[in-house]
Amino acid sequence: MIAYLSNLATQVAIFGILAATLNFILGYAGIFSIAHAVFFGLGAYAGAQIALLLVPDVVLACIVAAAIAGGLSLCLALPALRVRGEYFVAASLGLQMVAVTLFSELKPLTGGIGGLVGIPLPTLFGVPVGVLPVALAALALILLATALLARGSFGRTLTAIRDAESAAEALGKNVAAAKTLAVGFACAGAGVAGALYALHTSFVNVESFTMDYSVLMMAMVIIGGTGTLWGPLIGTVLLLSLPAALAFLPFLPATEVGAVQQIIIGLAMTLLMIFRPAGLVGDLSRGQTTA
Amino acid sequence: MSAARGSNEAPLRCEGLARSFGGLQAVAGVSLALPAGQVTALVGPNGAGKTTLFNLITGNLRADAGTAWVRGQPITGLKPWQVARLGVARSFQDLRLFTHMTVRDNVLAATERSAWFWQPGGTAGRKRRLAAAEAALEATGLASLADARAIDLAYAERKFLSLARILAAEAEIWLLDEPASGLDLASRMRFADLLRSATRRGVAICLIEHNLDVVAELSDRIAFLDQGRVIAEGDPQSILRDPALAAIYFGDRHEPASAAAETEA
Amino acid sequence: MLFLQLLINGLQTGAIYALTAAGFALIFGATRIFHFAHGTAFTLAGYAFLFAWRADWPGWAGVLVAVAAATLFGMAMERFVYRPIQRHEGSFFTVFVAAFGVGIVVQNLIGLFAGRGLATVDTPLSFGTEVLPEIFVAPILWIAIGTAAVLFAALTVFLTRSHAGVALRALAQNPDLIRTYGLSANGLSVLAFAIGSALAAPAAIITAMTSGLNEAIGHQVMLISIAATIVGGIGSLRGAALAGLMLGVAESLALQFVDTQWAEAVSFLVLFAFILFRPSGIFGVAAAR
Repeated sequence: MIAYLSNLATQVAIFGILAATLNFILGYAGIFSIAHAVFFGLGAYAGAQIALLLVPDVVLACIVAAAIAGGLSLCLALPALRVRGEYFVAASLGLQMVAVTLFSELKPLTGGIGGLVGIPLPTLFGVPVGVLPVALAALALILLATALLARGSFGRTLTAIRDAESAAEALGKNVAAAKTLAVGFACAGAGVAGALYALHTSFVNVESFTMDYSVLMMAMVIIGGTGTLWGPLIGTVLLLSLPAALAFLPFLPATEVGAVQQIIIGLAMTLLMIFRPAGLVGDLSRGQTTA
Repeated sequence: MSAARGSNEAPLRCEGLARSFGGLQAVAGVSLALPAGQVTALVGPNGAGKTTLFNLITGNLRADAGTAWVRGQPITGLKPWQVARLGVARSFQDLRLFTHMTVRDNVLAATERSAWFWQPGGTAGRKRRLAAAEAALEATGLASLADARAIDLAYAERKFLSLARILAAEAEIWLLDEPASGLDLASRMRFADLLRSATRRGVAICLIEHNLDVVAELSDRIAFLDQGRVIAEGDPQSILRDPALAAIYFGDRHEPASAAAETEA
Repeated sequence: MLFLQLLINGLQTGAIYALTAAGFALIFGATRIFHFAHGTAFTLAGYAFLFAWRADWPGWAGVLVAVAAATLFGMAMERFVYRPIQRHEGSFFTVFVAAFGVGIVVQNLIGLFAGRGLATVDTPLSFGTEVLPEIFVAPILWIAIGTAAVLFAALTVFLTRSHAGVALRALAQNPDLIRTYGLSANGLSVLAFAIGSALAAPAAIITAMTSGLNEAIGHQVMLISIAATIVGGIGSLRGAALAGLMLGVAESLALQFVDTQWAEAVSFLVLFAFILFRPSGIFGVAAAR
């Protein structure tokens, strides 16, 4: 039981980081990325390789993962600079689909379809450490960072750009730089989550970085409520508890749980948008994000 | 008192700016100087190229020909944010407020130029920016609405918020696109006071305005634009009394107005 | 001669892409709704045909069912999802998420009831005969090209000659025009969704008979549709169709150089290139910004 809860808590922490960082670019910068799982994957592969080739130091893995995911986030930032919401979604959709192919084919880096196995257990400066405390610490740090950024000048800059980009520019804001930084930060965070994931499961393969996972992360953000601090976390807890909750339904065959879970998520997303677009936690009077 | 700094160079100057759209010449060689501490009004019929001229200066549109300078530094080819950082503040006819932010945040955002995660200057800088924002709110009478959302403001309040952003940006050159349109007399007078105190500080203001009363009240000089050219320039009295210009302004000619070009922004 | 074969295959794929993309572009142009569930209409049409086929219904009945499925789905989305949303908020985000949610639901329902993985309809129509040395052409090629040509011709006539068609085009240029035109905006909206979704049906049927369907094919369809719409230029139906054709050919020709799994990347690369260098597309009416 303890192991089960510990595992669940680690998952919540990891996906909480993913949801919080996606919320940052979705809720504040208005960048609709359905490719967040790609950077999760980049971080996971990077962290895994560091652990396999060098030392499974969790901090080192996270830093390298953040650097790689953050650096490659330019692939997402560049189209985001050129086109707005609708058209950018297409680019991120394509990026997600191509990335899955890349992950499956680049055997030396990613282990191909088989993935990377036998990742050693994590250590911290030489001392074996559990992933859960590190993940929780990382989650806390990232939540703190997103809160500070969102409430400070950077958050205002992003919101200004989202609300009236030309006016923001007319006030001296370098829109391209701001968007690139926002995407970089969010993707670096996703990378950290990836490294933690790799060290937690000791095995990574492309199946965890598909569109389904990008959708799951988006659902966590939306259902909880975009542009809020706790919304993504609540969404994470709810959606991660869903499989467990579904397991209690006796008439559900185990093989179909995944599909049923997806159906519930899809329904939730659609119904929420029709009846309560601000999500569960979001403040309706605060207004929803606009393109 | 004056920010002319003993130099005769007008803070903003342009020469031969031109831009066409398809076959339509929206701006056909405009040369203009905006002197410090003065309000220059840009008037002309719809489609004369006034907003397009603004867009050319701020870098929102690329000029086909001509150059513009800010304090002697050429700005043609610079991006709008770069032009803004040289001290040019610009307002829009449709305001473009940051609708999902509070009034205070709208104005604060005007003081924050850096796109980095935080602004330079540390705590002292932060205090200074906050003070500038508060001062702008006070001056425009919006202090009591500081926590209201921009989207909830009444029309006149929105116009003043647009001006508050310009104030907070502490720019030396203001390009205002119909900032007083739709304001009642009392608001117009408050607005005029704000412009006057700015010019006393040495700010160079250029105003696109259709309301000739406002133009008469506020401007030190008028430039009359028609079909992309400055066809008359001078003090308000002579320009406003010229019957030939009046005929053009009120459309007594039979030439088609190039309205399409005016809406480019 | 591999090149020629690939070109022929590309034309077949291109015809399919052109139809689907035109459907999406029509809906988006007339309603400005980013109908992210267009791929779902495609999927439903394809599987409807598949079920009819497996139930030994005659071909034409299957076609009817497929067209009905797609059209009804499109109209239902407009009426029950998009319209309520547009009534209170209608931001791109809400519309997109809602459409996406529907796509997920349908994808998984199909997975549950129709099984996962590749599903094809085996017909002699897709059996190629050697017309030139090493060049195989199946009747389905002519059907694909012919269907696309006929439908586009009909669409052009509709859009230029009929009152409703002209109104739809006017809407694409200026949504405010609709009040003065006298036709209800809602009526035209439904029409756009009906026609746009119906266009996906023949494409889905041909796909079922050639490369086959799978429950997740909606994503691919969306990528192509959006890519073609952007590359062709927002607001240009002709552009979307041409771009669709172009993407189909490009994808097929790419097989000369890379393996099949990378062929999908071709569409993405083209899309990416246009977004970076020419967001307004080939025939772009309005810039993407």
